[in-house]
Amino acid sequence: MSTPDALDQELDMLLAKAGANVPPHLKAGVLAGYRDMKAMAAMVHGSRPATHEPSNVFSLKNFRSA
Amino acid sequence: MAKPLHELSIAEAGRALRAGTVSSVALTQHALARIAALDPLIHAFVLVTRERALADAERADRELKSGIDKGPLHGVPYALKDIYNTAGIRTTCHSKLLLDHVPAQDSVVEAKLKAGGAVLLGKLATHEFAFGGPSFDLPFPPARNPWNLDHFTGGSSSGSGAAVAAGLTRMAMGSDTGGSIRGPAFYCGVVGLKPTYGRVSRRGVFPLSYTLDHCGPLTWTVEDTALTMQVIAGYDREDPASADLPVDDFTKGLGQDLTGLKIAYPRAFFATSDGMTEETLAALDAAAQQVAKLGATVEEITLPAFALFNACGRVILTAEAYAIHEEELLSRPLDYARYTYMRMILGATLSAPDLVQAFRLRRELTTLLNGEVLKKYDAIITANGMSAAPRFDEFDPSMPAKMTLQTIPFNVTGNPVLALPTGFSRNGLPLGMQIVGRAFDEATVLRVGAAFEAATGAMGKRPALEAAIAA
Repeated sequence: MSTPDALDQELDMLLAKAGANVPPHLKAGVLAGYRDMKAMAAMVHGSRPATHEPSNVFSLKNFRSA
Repeated sequence: MAKPLHELSIAEAGRALRAGTVSSVALTQHALARIAALDPLIHAFVLVTRERALADAERADRELKSGIDKGPLHGVPYALKDIYNTAGIRTTCHSKLLLDHVPAQDSVVEAKLKAGGAVLLGKLATHEFAFGGPSFDLPFPPARNPWNLDHFTGGSSSGSGAAVAAGLTRMAMGSDTGGSIRGPAFYCGVVGLKPTYGRVSRRGVFPLSYTLDHCGPLTWTVEDTALTMQVIAGYDREDPASADLPVDDFTKGLGQDLTGLKIAYPRAFFATSDGMTEETLAALDAAAQQVAKLGATVEEITLPAFALFNACGRVILTAEAYAIHEEELLSRPLDYARYTYMRMILGATLSAPDLVQAFRLRRELTTLLNGEVLKKYDAIITANGMSAAPRFDEFDPSMPAKMTLQTIPFNVTGNPVLALPTGFSRNGLPLGMQIVGRAFDEATVLRVGAAFEAATGAMGKRPALEAAIAA
């Protein structure tokens, strides 16, 4: 778990890499959102072997109603 | 006593138009007068297209009189969320960035409504670019909830929900990427349908998240939603997500009881969720019991945790929205509302593996819902919002707004979902539920919704807006 300072620095690094200059009055809100987004991004990473592919999202053949 | 014109449903107005007992011009003038009187309080409209509406209505009257019938919306007034392109009519996405944007072409939905002889009243408030909100730092004020003007409408189809609830229009088009039709339907006490992904073309509608965006209607009754779908649904070869399937008869299940249907009720999915109130939960339990009384077999089931669906949807939505807005977010940050910016800029923090893993998780969740749950059950009844509409002053403008809605799972999976009211909170604000169906089986969710609506009389009460004007 990142400390608040480390999280702040991590966010600054990612935003700088993207070329984003966050207006100072919005920084606290962006940081709060980043905390949540980081947790959600971690949640989607699971153990999925190569056999899970191909990862098409929808298939009409499978989902068409009877 | 005869109903006031604005309380006629699309079906009732259609019958009256064809019987010659009401004209499209009369319906339109009534709507325009009501907008003029009430919208200064509600702020549902960002643009009223008065001349266009009256011209559309006069044409519809001439056509109907001469035996030309363009379908269920012919002569019926409607309005569009201001992310739907309208040729020659300003389309702003409620944003400073597009204040002068006048599209040359109609969105596909607008073209279909126009071809169906419907009457455009105007363009409706939205959260900026169908995201963020409720924002007071935009060129137009946020729409207000007709049940209590101090309360939020939900979003992002905020004007759509408010306009239908206030009786300014019988039908308003919305869009739904994480719940933007169903949230306003819940908070404003109206019916909203997020059709199956691919059922309604998104071409000409400003995108938020390519693989989660859905277009759909908000109306006062379930039947009106079915009639609208009859006009707007259909394959569009130029929308890469559009499904090449025949347009269903969306009204075919209306008026039937629920005998023979098996309905899943995932109570644990929402019962202990953050923000769930006793009254919302009680209304949901009562709704499930009502559906059983109407002949369905209702069984409790379990689903994967909401947090998993939510994470999957939020990662995809944020990444895709950032991809669309990257250039402007970096070059014009102050031209976005603060809520929009605070949420969208987070796309810069996501990695390629984050997005790929979210897509892979989506496949797993979609397969589970369709391949297991909806193979056994015809539909699912679940929660929409956890509590009635919050007050505007409960939002902290310096922090991203948090919503207690459980709508995004079905953007992730793409299934059709009908949002409709279940009753009212102790403070007089609407409560509601979602009915989730099999992909491309909107007809069954509409059947369940219509049976529930008829049995409960849930749509019998309207906001007391005349009192608000008098005050």
